[in-house]
Amino acid sequence: MHILLAEDDTETARFIAEGLTALGHKVTQVATGPLALQAASDATFDAVILDRMLPGLDGLEVLRDLRAIPNRVPVLVLTALGGIADRVDGLDAGADDYLVKPFAFVELAARLNALARRVPGPEQATRIEVGEIALDLLRREVTRCGKPVHLQPREFALLEQLMRHAGRVVTRTMFLERVWGFHFDPQTNIVESHLSRLRTKLREGFGGDDPIETIRGSGYRMRADA
Amino acid sequence: MRRAKASAAYRIAFTYSTAFTLAILLLGIAIYIAADAQFRRQQDAALVDEATALAHEFNEGDLPEIRRAIARREGGNTINVYGYAMFDRNGHRVGGGLNARKPPAGLQDIVFVDPVEGADRARAYATDLTGGFRLVVARDSESMDGIDRTIVLIFGGAFVLVIGLSVIGALLLGGYLQRRLDGISGVARAIMAGDMAQRVPISQRRDEFDAVGSALNTMLDRIGQLMDNLRQVSSDVAHDLRTPLLRLRNQLEQVGRVEGAAERAIEQGDAVLALFAALLRIAEVEGGALARGFVVTDLTLLVTEIAESYAPAFADGGRTLCWSIAPGIKVLGDRELIAQALINLLDNALLHTPARTQVTVSLGGDAHAATVSVADTGPGVPPGDHARILNRFARGEASRTTPGNGLGLSLVAAVTAAHGGTVAVTDNAPGLRVTLRLPRVSAA
Repeated sequence: MHILLAEDDTETARFIAEGLTALGHKVTQVATGPLALQAASDATFDAVILDRMLPGLDGLEVLRDLRAIPNRVPVLVLTALGGIADRVDGLDAGADDYLVKPFAFVELAARLNALARRVPGPEQATRIEVGEIALDLLRREVTRCGKPVHLQPREFALLEQLMRHAGRVVTRTMFLERVWGFHFDPQTNIVESHLSRLRTKLREGFGGDDPIETIRGSGYRMRADA
Repeated sequence: MRRAKASAAYRIAFTYSTAFTLAILLLGIAIYIAADAQFRRQQDAALVDEATALAHEFNEGDLPEIRRAIARREGGNTINVYGYAMFDRNGHRVGGGLNARKPPAGLQDIVFVDPVEGADRARAYATDLTGGFRLVVARDSESMDGIDRTIVLIFGGAFVLVIGLSVIGALLLGGYLQRRLDGISGVARAIMAGDMAQRVPISQRRDEFDAVGSALNTMLDRIGQLMDNLRQVSSDVAHDLRTPLLRLRNQLEQVGRVEGAAERAIEQGDAVLALFAALLRIAEVEGGALARGFVVTDLTLLVTEIAESYAPAFADGGRTLCWSIAPGIKVLGDRELIAQALINLLDNALLHTPARTQVTVSLGGDAHAATVSVADTGPGVPPGDHARILNRFARGEASRTTPGNGLGLSLVAAVTAAHGGTVAVTDNAPGLRVTLRLPRVSAA
């Protein structure tokens, strides 16, 4: 992927750029708001990482200008402002995702993957199929090899997230945000307790084959060939 | 005097007394004009009456008759204030002692020759009689001027007295206001100098100054509490951060020598960051700016969702989570903050109770408030600590070794306060019960 990184703190920029390059991405770095706007308008990127506090032009201003062009490139806003109102401002300005500093690199990588490969369309799809598992969003039904699997509402929502991002990592905080709408981290790992039930239900009667993998220190991934 | 010039108290007092003096002056002028006009009208009426009476006597007799009548009046024993003159058609004075030229008919001011003072002014009334005679009755203006002078004198004296009194009054009032305000600003200066214990003296009168003073004292009390709280938090933060940072440092020292030390160091770093996130979140909630974003939130839905989400985690730890949730309860608030408060209570119930504990979440409410409570059948908290555990970094002796940063319940308290509610910590006999009361929105 070709990623535009707009970050003025050299230490953070280096940390992100090195990590992304190691994952095989191509990274273009800028350090000011006007340069970020120019770069994003001139070239085509798969995703933009935009710091909220950029010199010259505030990150949110860059984002608004970009959306006004209009340019629909997926944008992930990075910020040191973790307040509730700050997050709403960021999403209102047209951010696709919002990550509060400090963050773990795996979290950034997972979110970037989820953003950049989001193909327009499947959000509206009413049926998702990954390997032998099918999920019907309208009838709220899940089948594996054509046999029904009975899931609780939250197990269903977790599976939906995994299947939408099949082959990619979904982190704990991504689950908390998208299934529960929580932007904080409870001490109790409620994601884990629901996922283990989901995995048991998906395995039972299907030969014990687990379509979901745990990625240590990072999150969970649905095997694309499950 | 310079101080008095710059003083609002003196300015107000002097403005007031100047306005009062001006009002008195205007009143005096009005009275003078009205009284003078009235006296002159009366004098004119008297002149006309006198002339009419004399003319009547002339009509009954002849010239000698009226001369006698005039002479009688002029030479009478009673003190006569009038002067008289009779003129014939040629303008010659034919009777009366008033030494003047023949005036036209009607009321007018004339000049006559006073035997003692010489030329003098007088008010006169002239009326025509039969036979071409003109009768003039006059009164020396001196008497009217004397009345006017008396009025001006009395009023002038009174006015000087009023000015004197109002200056004294203004000085007294200004001094009084100044003294009362000095009491307040003196306290303010003492506090600026560092003596936070100073308070504005309150008198027994319960007047406006006392109202301001007691409002200021209440404010000072509140500021004092906040400062104490801040001092406490700063020292707590400093103290409670040392431990995890020290641990982090030791783990970093082991990196490269002990297996898994790097991972443990990262975990420890995350714990420190989580501590900061919790502190910032509490500060944000206590800042109070969030209330603007509050919306009607369905508590029934939210509590059900959280209870259902936590049931598996409780089951995994060998505990049971039950819930009893009343339908249709709504509050004005922030969904996520209320969720975080409730989740902190559930996290606590999971962390600080042994297996086989039963935990109950209930949502109820009356007409005014919604009540959310989390009760467990665990070991509970000594009653003496019930109030204390809501404070930042407060941790029961029994929980020193379990994970947690002592901020969970502080956030619960902050969130509840931000929603205008209250937290109650009670004994569940056995166990602990924490109840949140939040103001309810009428079902609409």
